[in-house]
Order: sequence, then structure tokens, then C-alpha cells
Amino acid sequence: MRMNSVIVDASHVTRSFTMPAGTVTAVRDVSLQIQSGEYVAVRGPSGCGKSTLLHMLGAVDTPSSGTLMFDGRDIAALSDRDRSLLRLRQIGFVFQRFFLLPMLTAAENVELPLSEAGVGKRDRLERTKELLDYVGLAARADHRPSQLSGGEMQRVAIARSLANRPRLLLADEPTGELDEATGAQISALLDRVNADGTALVIVTHDSTLAARARRVLMMRDGRVESEHQQ
Amino acid sequence: MRAVAFAARSLVRQPARALLGVLGVTAVGALLFDMLLLSQGLIVSMGDLLERTGYDVRVTTTAELPRTAPPLERAAETVASIAQLPEVRAAIGIRFVDVTIDRPASEPMRGVRLQADQAITGTLQGVVGTAHPWSLLRGEDIAGSRGTRPTATNSSPGLTGAIVPPEKTGDSGSGTRDSIGSSAAASVVVNQHLADALGVEPGGTITVNASCESDLDVLPPVTLHVIGVASFPFELSTEKTVAGDMSTLDAACGGNGRDQAHIVVVTAATDAGVAAAAIQRLRPELHAATNAQMLGRIEQGGFTYFRQISTVLTTVTVAFALLLICVLLTVSVNQRLGEIAALRALGFSRRRVVADVLSESVLIVGTGGLLSLPAGFVLASWLDDILKRMPNIPADLHFFVFEPGALTVHVTLLVVTAIVAAIYPMSIVARLPIAATLRNEVTS
Repeated sequence: MRMNSVIVDASHVTRSFTMPAGTVTAVRDVSLQIQSGEYVAVRGPSGCGKSTLLHMLGAVDTPSSGTLMFDGRDIAALSDRDRSLLRLRQIGFVFQRFFLLPMLTAAENVELPLSEAGVGKRDRLERTKELLDYVGLAARADHRPSQLSGGEMQRVAIARSLANRPRLLLADEPTGELDEATGAQISALLDRVNADGTALVIVTHDSTLAARARRVLMMRDGRVESEHQQ
Repeated sequence: MRAVAFAARSLVRQPARALLGVLGVTAVGALLFDMLLLSQGLIVSMGDLLERTGYDVRVTTTAELPRTAPPLERAAETVASIAQLPEVRAAIGIRFVDVTIDRPASEPMRGVRLQADQAITGTLQGVVGTAHPWSLLRGEDIAGSRGTRPTATNSSPGLTGAIVPPEKTGDSGSGTRDSIGSSAAASVVVNQHLADALGVEPGGTITVNASCESDLDVLPPVTLHVIGVASFPFELSTEKTVAGDMSTLDAACGGNGRDQAHIVVVTAATDAGVAAAAIQRLRPELHAATNAQMLGRIEQGGFTYFRQISTVLTTVTVAFALLLICVLLTVSVNQRLGEIAALRALGFSRRRVVADVLSESVLIVGTGGLLSLPAGFVLASWLDDILKRMPNIPADLHFFVFEPGALTVHVTLLVVTAIVAAIYPMSIVARLPIAATLRNEVTS
């Protein structure tokens, strides 16, 4: 693993949306770098552009202006297929609403990105087991999401996001749907993921979770208003 | 997990919707299959019927269908001259007259007894030659009753007793084959409908009143001996048929033999087309048609209606299937936009999520299409029974006939349906804005 190397380099990134009522700028002239192994929290009021920034960092959206380089590659210049491959192999996503597929078991949900990446069945099964062990759900491998609690579902989602050993894990309000105690368990799990070398960018309203990050960005009106190290 | 397996799991996830889709495709597919069977069914069935009779060429006075064309005159001479052609193996002429049929008052019928005003109407066939354009079911045949030897040259039921020139059989005797003026005029065979209606069996007698020239004929009734019960290839489903040699028909017509035939049926020595051409050269004023040409006439004569109906209904059913699948998939996709966007965010390619939707369509249509085949066969059998109750339909004719080509078209149409129906939901998935969808899912 390349430590202290830049994974994401955003330079004067702006993202605007054309709406019927006019153009809305969600992210304005943001420049930042994400280093390998870093733990960054993005905070700010609703609608300040946190999630939009996260989506651009995760290559699911592209800037309207400015440049965003992922591992030295300009995301806007990549084809849709190449961006998909980049997300599949280098980036993990954890969502507020988990987005586990209800017709699949926990193990099958974790296995999905591996399957899409073309990993052989034997390796898939081995990696799935390893990941479920990692998040403490080996015993629930054959359970469907409807048979899991919110915290368990989020743990499966984290295991799924780590399937292809991403360099960067992005989490959008990962504790937003959970109670305080369960949120604390997820926070601890994310700490562990970061400690194991995966760079982490978390968008959160949860001050307890944000307090675990080593660097906190405060956003307002689409801009990074302040940034501090912890 | 491959796209097909993934799609199967997605379908199982919402069993009611999947079942609705499969049942819908089954019903539509069964109708589609039946329309395809119908589009060619009559022609195929008629062709089969023509072939089964054992005759290759039919000769009539006009290009109209047999029994609607005017009769040809000097039937015996015509049949004999056609039979002499080297391209022809054998020929027989048939004349049809309308008759009313009853049992002699002295013979009480088994079962119901007809009232005086309930005479049965039917058809009397007179044959030039001791020909058998029928298949004997029980009893004796006309030739047997007269001691006539079956023709040795051909074992086909349609040829037995036909006019076969001696030089073609190597037989020096000739009197047994041309039966015109035969002394055993009173022997006839009847079809099963008539046997049932009159309660008559071989050994019994019937009386017929023939209308030989017009419906206004007043001819004396003739008593005929029933020696056998037979099936006739082109008889209508409710038709009552009596058949004998031409002398029997002459007797029924009051003894004034007209020497006419409505049709001459011919067995070719080798090729039907060659035989038809030879007959046409011999008698240019007549129309000699091979079975294929006869089918062409029949097609032009009204069977195209069924093809047109079939085409219209096929189009409607395919359109219905398209709408059904398209709506089901679109609803399904719209309910899963968040999940699909999440999968895209996790690195699933656009092609992969599109393939998932296509696979769902193929699975629904494939399963429904498979089930539609037995359902289609059952439905076709039922519809065939209903349609065959129409008047003037030969009993052995079928409207719905299976052909491998119909199955090929059925499968092709369903595959096209699966693909086309999935185009719109696939386009939704392909154009899905990942970030906006994820944002909407959280805020909604």
C-alpha cells in the first residue's frame, strides 16, 4: 500500500445543476487532497453540498468545472466504463440506507462486487467469509437483509464496500439511520477499516463520528468554510 | 452472480408480479401460437386431405372448386381417354346429386324413427368405375358386392376399382373395371352420419329421392341396399352421404343416365405436373389441377380470410405482450432505482445493469412462452372444435394445424417481444444519473 500518497486531488471543483428555476451550484470552487490512509469527515448543514462533493470524490459524478484527479487520472476524462471499473476496484461506498439487495443473503450481497470484478468462485467465497468475519457477522452469512437489524445491515454494507480492497472508502451518513449505540459500533468498525489502511471520507451530521476523523472539513453554501486537523 | 441468476432472484423477490407477468405471457403466447397455427392450418390440413385421397390431379370443367363447377359431359369416355394416357396410372369420375333419404316404412329403424316430414337430406355419389374415393369402415365394399376384383396395380384406397387400362395392368379381362351400366346398381355404402341418423347398418335398405336436374325434380324413390359404412375424405361434418357406382346414381335419377361427372380424379404414373399437362393437352377445354394448384385455388377462394384474421390477431397479441412486459419491467425498475444507483456506485457497469433488466424480460417471456405451448395446443383443440361446427366444413379438415415453422415463428416473435419490451426499462437504467438518484433516495 502506498502510504501518504495522494489518492484524490480536487482543484477548484465546482458542480452546478440546471433546474427549471435556474442553475443551482451545489459545490463551489473546492480544492482538496485525500491522502492514502487518511480519515476525513465532511460536516455542514443540509444542502451545503457535502453529498455532491462525496459523489464527485467517488467518481459517480463529475465536476462542472475544475479538475478532479483520482490516482493521477482525470475522472471527467474517463469513459463511463472506466469510471465504473475505477469505482469497482478502487473505491468503496457505504450509504445511509444500506442499499443491500433484499433477495440476496448477507454473503451474496458481499460477494456481488467480487463477482462483478471477475474474481473466481473459490476466491469469492473465501473473501466473503473473511469480510463477514471482519465485521462480526459470520454467523449471519445466510440471513437476508430483512432478517438483520439496522446495525447488522450497515456492517454487511461495509463488508460489501471492502470486497475488492478499495483504496478509498466513502460513507454518506453511515450512522444516519441507526440509534446511538449501534452508530457507535459502526463508528468503531470504520475506525478499524481506516486503521487497516483504507482512506476514509465520511459525510456526517454525527459529531461523535466526525470527532473520530483526523481531519474535518466544514462546508457551507457549497464551499469548504474551514478545515481542521484533530 | 451472472445477470440471468441475478434477474431470477429479482423476479422471485416479487413473486406476485413475476407470476402475473408469466401468466400474462402464457395467455398471450397461447393466443399467438394459435394464430400461427391458424394462419397456415387450413391450407396444411387441406393439402394433407388432398394427399390422403391418393389422387394427384383433379379435372373439372372450370377453375372453380369441385362440386361448384358445372359437370363435364361424356364422363365415361373422358375418364377412359384420360386413363389411357401414359402419364396417368388410373382415373375415376364422380358425380354428386342431392337426395332425400329415408328407410322403407316396412323396416322400423333401431333407435328413433323419423317422422314423415323429417326426411334426411344428403348427397349421392356416383362413380365412373368401381372406384372407392372412400375408406370402408365396416361391411362390404361396392366392388366386393359385385364380385369385381380390386385393381392389382395399386393398393391405394383411392385407386381400388379405378379405371385402369388393361395394358397397364397386364390383365386381359376388362368388364369388371368399367362399371357403367353395371347390374348391381342397388348396392351402396353410406357414411357414419347417415348410418347413425337412420339407424341403418350393412344388410339394411334405404330409399332415396334424387334431385338430379333441379330441386323441382319429382322422381320416384329408389330402394338401395346398404352393404357397408365408409368415411369420405371431403364429407362435411354433418353431411349424409350415400355412394355407389354410376349406374346406381342413374337409377336414382330415373334411369335417364346423363353420363356426367363433376370431377375426375387421377393418379399420375410418375409426376403430377406432367400428368396434369398431358390431360390439359388431351382436353384443353377442361381444367386439370395438381394438388398444389388446387390448394392455390382454395387459398384464393376464401382461406386467405383466416390468414388475414390471424395476422391481425397476431399483431394485437404481440402488442399486448409488449405492453404487459414493458409495464411490469418499468414498474419494477422504477421501484429499484436506488438499488440500481447503489450498484452502479459500487462499480457495476451500465452494460451489466442493462443486462439484468433484459434478463428479467427474457426470463418472464421465456417461462411464459414455454407454458404457452401446451396452453396453446389445448386452446387450439377447443377452438378447432368450435370452428368445425360451421356449415360446409369437411369433417377431416382442421383450422389449427401444427407445423415446425409455426413454432419457429412463435419463438422468434417471443424473443423479439422480450427484447423490444425491455428497451424502455433498459433505457431508464442506462440513463440513470447515479448521484442524483442516490440523493433523491435519501431525501425522499
